[in-house]
Amino acid sequence: MRKRWLALASLVGVLAFVAAGCGGDDDGGGGSVEGSEDVTGTISTMGTWAGPEQASFQAVIDGFNELYPNVTVKFTSGGNNLAPLLSTAVQGGNPPDIACIAQPGLIAQFAEQGAIQPIDDLRDAIVDNFGESVADVGAVDGTQYAIMFKGANKSTIWYNVADFEEAGVEPPETWDDLNEVTSTIKAAGITPYSVGVDAGWPISDIFENIYLRTAGADMYDQLANHEIPWTDQSVKDALTLMADVVGDSSNMAGGTDGALETTFDASAAKVFSESPQAAMLILGDFAPGVVKNNPLEPVTGYNVFAFPSIEGSSPAVVGGGDLCANFKTSEAATAFLEYLTTPEAAEIWAERGGFSSPNKNVDPDVYADEITRTTATGLAEAETFRFDMSDLQPSAFGGTPGQGLWKGFTDFVANPDNIDAVTQQMESDAQKAFANS
Amino acid sequence: MSTAAPAIDATVEAPVVIAEPTSAKILRFLGKTPVYLLLAFIGLLWLVPTLGLLLTSLLPPSIIGTAGWWEVLSQPSVATLDNYRAIFDNEAITSAIWTTLWIALGATFLPIFVASLAAYAFAWLEFPGRDWIFLVVVALLVVPIQMALIPIFSLYNTLGLFDTIPGLVLFHTAFGLPFAIFLLRNFFIGIPRDLLEAARIDGASEFRIFFRVIIPLGLPAIASLAIFQFLWVWNDLLVALTFARDTQPITVAIFSQMRQFSGNIELIAPAAFVSLAIPLVVFFAFQRYFVEGLLAGSVK
Amino acid sequence: MSESATTVEAPSGGLPPATDEPGLIRRYGVTLVFLAPTLVLLTVWVVYPTLRTIHRSFYDRSGDDFIGIDNYRTLFTDDALVTAIKNNFLWLLIVPFFVTAIGLVFAVLLERIRFSVAFKVVVFMPMAISLFAAGVIWRLMYEKDPSRGTVNAAVAVVADAVSPSGVLSGARPSTDELEGSPARGIVLQAPLEAGSVARLGLTAIREADVPSGAEQAVVPEALAGGITGVVWRDFKPGGGTPGELEQGELGLPGVTVELRSQGGEPTLETTTEPDGTFVFEEVAAGSYRAAIGPDTFTEPYAGVSWLSARLITPAIMMAYIWVWAGFSMVVIAAGLAAIPRDLLEAARTDGASEWQVFRRVTVPLLAPVLSVVFVTMLIYVLKVFDIVIAIAPGSVEDDANVVALAMWRTSFGGVNDFGLGAAIAVFLFLLVIPILALNIRRFRREL
Repeated sequence: MRKRWLALASLVGVLAFVAAGCGGDDDGGGGSVEGSEDVTGTISTMGTWAGPEQASFQAVIDGFNELYPNVTVKFTSGGNNLAPLLSTAVQGGNPPDIACIAQPGLIAQFAEQGAIQPIDDLRDAIVDNFGESVADVGAVDGTQYAIMFKGANKSTIWYNVADFEEAGVEPPETWDDLNEVTSTIKAAGITPYSVGVDAGWPISDIFENIYLRTAGADMYDQLANHEIPWTDQSVKDALTLMADVVGDSSNMAGGTDGALETTFDASAAKVFSESPQAAMLILGDFAPGVVKNNPLEPVTGYNVFAFPSIEGSSPAVVGGGDLCANFKTSEAATAFLEYLTTPEAAEIWAERGGFSSPNKNVDPDVYADEITRTTATGLAEAETFRFDMSDLQPSAFGGTPGQGLWKGFTDFVANPDNIDAVTQQMESDAQKAFANS
Repeated sequence: MSTAAPAIDATVEAPVVIAEPTSAKILRFLGKTPVYLLLAFIGLLWLVPTLGLLLTSLLPPSIIGTAGWWEVLSQPSVATLDNYRAIFDNEAITSAIWTTLWIALGATFLPIFVASLAAYAFAWLEFPGRDWIFLVVVALLVVPIQMALIPIFSLYNTLGLFDTIPGLVLFHTAFGLPFAIFLLRNFFIGIPRDLLEAARIDGASEFRIFFRVIIPLGLPAIASLAIFQFLWVWNDLLVALTFARDTQPITVAIFSQMRQFSGNIELIAPAAFVSLAIPLVVFFAFQRYFVEGLLAGSVK
Repeated sequence: MSESATTVEAPSGGLPPATDEPGLIRRYGVTLVFLAPTLVLLTVWVVYPTLRTIHRSFYDRSGDDFIGIDNYRTLFTDDALVTAIKNNFLWLLIVPFFVTAIGLVFAVLLERIRFSVAFKVVVFMPMAISLFAAGVIWRLMYEKDPSRGTVNAAVAVVADAVSPSGVLSGARPSTDELEGSPARGIVLQAPLEAGSVARLGLTAIREADVPSGAEQAVVPEALAGGITGVVWRDFKPGGGTPGELEQGELGLPGVTVELRSQGGEPTLETTTEPDGTFVFEEVAAGSYRAAIGPDTFTEPYAGVSWLSARLITPAIMMAYIWVWAGFSMVVIAAGLAAIPRDLLEAARTDGASEWQVFRRVTVPLLAPVLSVVFVTMLIYVLKVFDIVIAIAPGSVEDDANVVALAMWRTSFGGVNDFGLGAAIAVFLFLLVIPILALNIRRFRREL
């Protein structure tokens, strides 16, 4: 029941979130915080961000320290392992003070266990800045637990402009067009896709985008709540379609083997390059933000188009977000969370790129480039929006490396013909996870 | 380790010594040339991986993702120290290196000190059950670290030792003891009895004997042990992965980079090289002790 | 001579305690001080956890429900865990043998030369680096792309020499008029006779890969008594119309075109001009087919996928052997040095050949040393962890799984099932005990 509630909240919630988020209407509500030298202490924080993203969050922390100079904030990256790390830490009785988690499913689990503390006092600040619906994404059963500090549009496909020009193709709007573009690119002697299987989650993002368009929003919700099994024909059909892209070794830079050994940042670097190894990259709007030393300029060097519609589906967006919650309450922790509700905190990261803010008071001009503005507004224009399905699942099934969905999609790329076996394994993993939670 | 050779008196006549003509010497050397060449080739092959890492770390970030380290050989001007500068500016990496140093030093001195005390007791103090207890201690060599991970994890969380340097040091110390005690005790036994008796007669307390006689005489064995232990702890990954989160030694720091950002070679390569440079320096400086320690019957 | 420094039993009659006073504390107080830290550390960190873990292995993941040997059953039925056990046995079978053998070969070779120290140091160095760092090094070396991964770069040198990449690697026919594949050669289906014009359109050629000097492709005039044709890159930005030679499409020079007889035998050969045209001047009567041989399409070496499911365990083993061969070599070399020269001389004087000396004298005398190395490797290989987790990317972790890694993943790496993790730990313990017991007994005997 909690899951259905969450999915509903996400639908309503984030529709409004970026509609507000990038309208840029500054109605003056929910502004900055005062800051104080009296608040002291050391708080530990964790998130999935590593590399350039970690540097960006560190900049946000530095901004916090300007207001609260006597609080020390430590950040540790959990990477792909954040979910198991936090679960182990909670089990061991030693979680960090604050963690920013990309999985509402995990937030709900922690809330039920009593591991994270309510932040109802901050509800007003959150609503002022993010609106009711977005605020609700971080709430469980009516109690506020988390702030959605960072959002992500995952229905984006990036491409290398030079390669597209060489092949003489334009960004496609339908799946059939995409397949045509793919074969034209191949005829030009260029590899179409750079795929980084990483721990499996980039592939789950592709699957969710396809499924939302082929099966529709209602079935998406049903699958998210495990009301229909993963062995359902709709799942298999989506996987068959996905094989058009990731099932053909000649479509991917390095072939299937190459894709399996590549992490998501390396796959992005292959496209954002002056000698790209592939033309297109199916990855969320954070992609440019994870490539160190990106030599290309937006629009002229690299660009983006929305995930195409399939058989006439209406524009749809699969999105994600990082929700920050506190495991231990303290003055310092509350101060930091409060800071995260402010537009200033969001603007620090937005300036650096690779960041979509759900905060409606953020000045859209602050976004690093036109493309980021586009991807952020893409969220707003979506007729249909859904939160990343795997993030809504119990984390043992939807968010853990080597298990559940992430492993299932990795296996699928390795053996794209094996749809039945893959879906059966996913279904049995799902049953175990839902029984346990 | 050498067994005494049985005296051979069989040969009565003195071996005839004939000066070897130069030509024969050259022939002999030439005959060995294939062996020299082969070994040189193998040696080079053995060096390639480590050398490769070093050269990779010298590649500029712009080409590090697309070129191999042999680019440095073909175009030496391409090499740069930028990556090293970057990691020494990187707080996460530098603090990881310091952390590793503290852990390794702590987990070297402490077990050696504790083990020497115990080894002396097992070697030269008399008490009931001494040999049995010694056997039990040595038998604990059998226990793999995995047997302790889960209970100590819970224990550390209760005691607040989780994610602390002392926590890691104590764990390494405990597991280093059986081997250290075994080695030191066998060494201490070799110390001439008369020396100790004389000291006792002179009225020296056990502690005095320990610090003034045993330790100085035991230094060679202690040195070997120290190097072994230092390297073992410096290079540890498993214990750190389990018990550290914020206080990460360098192995864990590099590991999470590799898993998460395999594309970040400009950070992984120099960090890995720095992390292996220190044990290498220790190794080269104390090579002799290292090998000796090995030959003294190493099993850890 | 004083007592041997190598027996396990202490010399009888260790020095008696300092005082004869009654009272245990008085008598053994000092001893206690010497032993206390050891006893405390070992009890708390080794003995107690061992018992706890054994106990924990009989409970479920939460720790509250007793489930008997269920965890052990899972150990032998779960796919990932069974793979781990299988892999460990592979390791046991292969690695200690090779490490010992290679060390033996090196030690024997070294014996014959001077200046062996340099070689010893080089080969021994990886031991100091640590298995994890070695893992990092080899992970980078195993990259599939030959322009980045060292191993594949080396293989590529040989592979490219043996089958050099063709002028048009990776190209394929643009229409069904041409049949075949890059591996077998591409053949224009329509039969040709004297006076025909052949058109062979190819795609999947990158603009930058078109051979230099290429010009706009043209369809040549027919030649009486001969066959002409054109080989061109049938692509222009946007795709163009496959099969039609359009403005903007380049000819492919330097391509070898064969004229094959009805039976498929190549009879004539010629090379294309900058505009892609080719000419067979005088052709006997009959029907022919135009073809481009497979050599033209050979792709540059793509690299072995060392990090794939199939090859990952052998790949990790190779790296492991690289690290440990030095240990084996040093120990065996010391053993070799300890063999008295006189024995060998005596054997030689008796007329034995070098090989016989080696087999009949050296090896038997080396046996204890060889077994030290072998047994040591058996123990280490059972516990292998660092190098596996360093080299295997997440996607193949299950295929490369070993027991020590499985234990960590189960307990702390996501599954978070302490009960099952404890069972795996106990299993590892049980595997290690017999071998270590062997080792300890050897210590008692030998030293």
